[in-house]
Amino acid sequence: MNGTLLLQQVLNGLAIGSVYGIFALGYTLIFSVLRIINFTHGAIFTLGAYAAYALTGSQFGINGLLAGAALPLRLPFVLALLGGSLIAAVCGVIVERLAFRPLRLLGADPLLTLVSSLGVAVALVNITQYLFGAEPYSYPDPLDRLPSAVNFGTAANPILVRTVQVVIFCVSMVMLALLTYLMNATRTGKALRAVAEDTTTSSLLGIDTDRLILLTFVISGFLGGVTGTLIGLSVGVAGPYFGIAFGLKGLAVIVLGGLGDIPGAVVGGLIIGLAEAFVPAQYIAYREAVPFALLFIVLLVRPQGLLGRAQAQKV
Amino acid sequence: MATFFDTYGFLLVSMVLAAVLALTLYLPLMAGQLSVASPAFYALGGYIAAILSTKVFHPAPGLYPVSLVLLEMAVAAVVSGVLGVAVGLPALRLRGIFLALATIAFVQILGVVALNLDVTGGAIGIFGIPQPFSDQLHYMWLAGPLLLLSMLFVGRLERTRTGRALVALREDELAAAAMGVNPTYHKVLAFTASAVLAGAVGALSAHFINTWNSRQGTFDTSVNLMAFVLIGGSRTFVGPVLGGLVLTALPEALRGIADIGGMPVWLAGFLREGRLIIFGLLIAIGTVFFPHGLITPALLRRLGRRGRTSLR
Amino acid sequence: MSPAAAPPRDSVDRSAAALLVVEQIKRSFGGVTAVNRVSFTVNRGEMFGLIGPNGAGKTTLFNIVTGLTAPEAGRLHYRGEDITGLSPHRVAERGIARTFQNVRLFGELTALDNVMIARHVRTRSGLFAGVLGLGPARREERATREHAAALLALVGLADRSDERARNFAYGDQRRLEIARALALEPDLLLLDEPAAGMNTGEKRALSELIRSVRARLHLTILLIEHHVPLVMDLCDRIAVLNFGELIALGVPAQVQAHPAVVEAYLGDSV
Repeated sequence: MNGTLLLQQVLNGLAIGSVYGIFALGYTLIFSVLRIINFTHGAIFTLGAYAAYALTGSQFGINGLLAGAALPLRLPFVLALLGGSLIAAVCGVIVERLAFRPLRLLGADPLLTLVSSLGVAVALVNITQYLFGAEPYSYPDPLDRLPSAVNFGTAANPILVRTVQVVIFCVSMVMLALLTYLMNATRTGKALRAVAEDTTTSSLLGIDTDRLILLTFVISGFLGGVTGTLIGLSVGVAGPYFGIAFGLKGLAVIVLGGLGDIPGAVVGGLIIGLAEAFVPAQYIAYREAVPFALLFIVLLVRPQGLLGRAQAQKV
Repeated sequence: MATFFDTYGFLLVSMVLAAVLALTLYLPLMAGQLSVASPAFYALGGYIAAILSTKVFHPAPGLYPVSLVLLEMAVAAVVSGVLGVAVGLPALRLRGIFLALATIAFVQILGVVALNLDVTGGAIGIFGIPQPFSDQLHYMWLAGPLLLLSMLFVGRLERTRTGRALVALREDELAAAAMGVNPTYHKVLAFTASAVLAGAVGALSAHFINTWNSRQGTFDTSVNLMAFVLIGGSRTFVGPVLGGLVLTALPEALRGIADIGGMPVWLAGFLREGRLIIFGLLIAIGTVFFPHGLITPALLRRLGRRGRTSLR
Repeated sequence: MSPAAAPPRDSVDRSAAALLVVEQIKRSFGGVTAVNRVSFTVNRGEMFGLIGPNGAGKTTLFNIVTGLTAPEAGRLHYRGEDITGLSPHRVAERGIARTFQNVRLFGELTALDNVMIARHVRTRSGLFAGVLGLGPARREERATREHAAALLALVGLADRSDERARNFAYGDQRRLEIARALALEPDLLLLDEPAAGMNTGEKRALSELIRSVRARLHLTILLIEHHVPLVMDLCDRIAVLNFGELIALGVPAQVQAHPAVVEAYLGDSV
């Protein structure tokens, strides 16, 4: 195979994969602390994207209840991204308080929490659609003064990656590094891991489990918002349902990497990105099935994922 | 009266079909398995009927023979059953969340495949599916008995040796196995029964809705089914049936209320379009406040007792 | 004249009297050896006790015999057949039934349903026969109900057959679990600490129940129990485990006097 083509596909795969990776970070973080799958992550990711859009002062289209509405302010993209992600974080916390905390206090089966999160996610996405319509939106481009693509090859054999995708890749690596540092090298991280092991014992040891769980949702929601906005920047915001689609694909990513494993989220994302990039041209229509085929196979063969530990069953 | 059935014929049949589909989620749940795979078999059944009736059978013009519809339902049921065993045997070794995820993946994969095959009509799907009846309400001749038979089957199941085995697995799989119940056999049995029923419903629905494409039998369908069973009741077969009937009628009722007038625009719009919002919120509320649904065996017992005392 | 050699303490006996033969069974969990090359034989009709301090490996051994856990090494023979590695329901099919250390009843179901479920391997009605209500299936259903009711009566719970199992008091739950295990019509009954959490009166009643059940149903019983007087009283032979190893095996009097046992376990609890 042509070396240039191969490298191009690898870079494409890494670009797509890093997007999945940041998304999965928030997803898997919650699993690592609470042992639940928070499907609302996809909805929060959508809300973040829409909030950032609103904060750039852009106008919403003709469908939806808030047709034609626009905020009276006009923030530059980076501030809108941060603002939107903060709003996403707040939404995540609200969901936690209203939907997950009662279930946690009732000692509910994680399966019930998954079902609840599915309901909340669908409700949130449809509320968003009801308010803002399902048309595509795009952000005012903050990178328009930079070249639109970075060339990793030569002038004769160009290997191009869009600048925004390079930015996303760098952001994903930074997020991974920060999160890993947080979990492994700080006191808060240690406390989080204690809560992950055993909530009751942790609180008996004086750890404020409630506040730490809140922190987890804040971080996860923030990451979700960042991801949503960055993807919106990269491919445009294609209607609120792309949150559900991402939520579904994200399941494949976190299971492949290992549920609850933070580096695993990025590894899983990159692998699925690469798998999608290497789908041969004649099967390109089936590309969307690849993550789910991988999910199914991983569940059958190695449910703990690549980096997870096998769970023994207590008799 | 006639106009009621004219206007609501479509709704009534939809309600009945939804109730049967709800039972397909209930069957694996009897054994403690949350499987959202039935939308995939529903879609498969629909495609089989659509393909057979538009491309294979070439009946005379006029109404499509009901016998052919029944044949298609039978074929769909058998094919779904075989696929159910094939998928169920490996997948049902998984438990809890892992099984739920595997079935979610299965529905997604089938959706993509359906979207891309020529025989399924790709993104457009298959349309102009022949009609066995001139009036949509007449579909009740097929849907009604289907619902009654399924209710009879599942209701009887709860009182038999096999049904007891399923419930034992739900309560405590380990103890059930120690008492001689073969977990894999019974889980696959429930899963396959569910697939067979979903396939049959799909085949009938394809005719009923007249077109069939990859928008039938998706993740959204899974969410609807979960709402039916979670709200209706997950511990007795009456629950999913009532959940399916009521929650399918609910959006229509809300739409009716919205049309009354004198309501703020946002509320009217919400009542009209907010079906998934309401279902999603109901699911979230249900998991906290009534995790076994509204219709529980305890409730049925109490109603039964009250009925009996009032006869004295 | 040379003295006759004493028979080896843990000889593996494959004679017809041997119902269960445990041969060199070994099992570890994450680096800790729970059961270390344990061998013994349980003879037909025996009441065989298994005692030892907490964590000695007794329940693990039960789990291995009933197929819940696979051994790393060693073999199991039941009625002459090698049952090593069989799955739990196949072990139950062959006539080995058990109760659990932490009672594992089907809480939401009635007492009668709990016992009826355990009739599964002794009945044959399939899915369709049952649902269609065919003659043989209906007769079998009636027989199942009667058999279960009789077992409830045997353990003294006949008047509570329609109560949910989770509502039973602890002691009654244990009796219900025994009734359920008996529904399997086992030849070998494994009881895992059946007297745990009972007061003296209840323990005595349980002791009587076990004796009468064994006599009436010609059972062989393998019993894990912490309450040493109960074990000494009931059992024909006793095996003592400590840290996964078999340290003594014999009739109660022998075991009681055995130095290793006294040191490891009995101490001053006799």
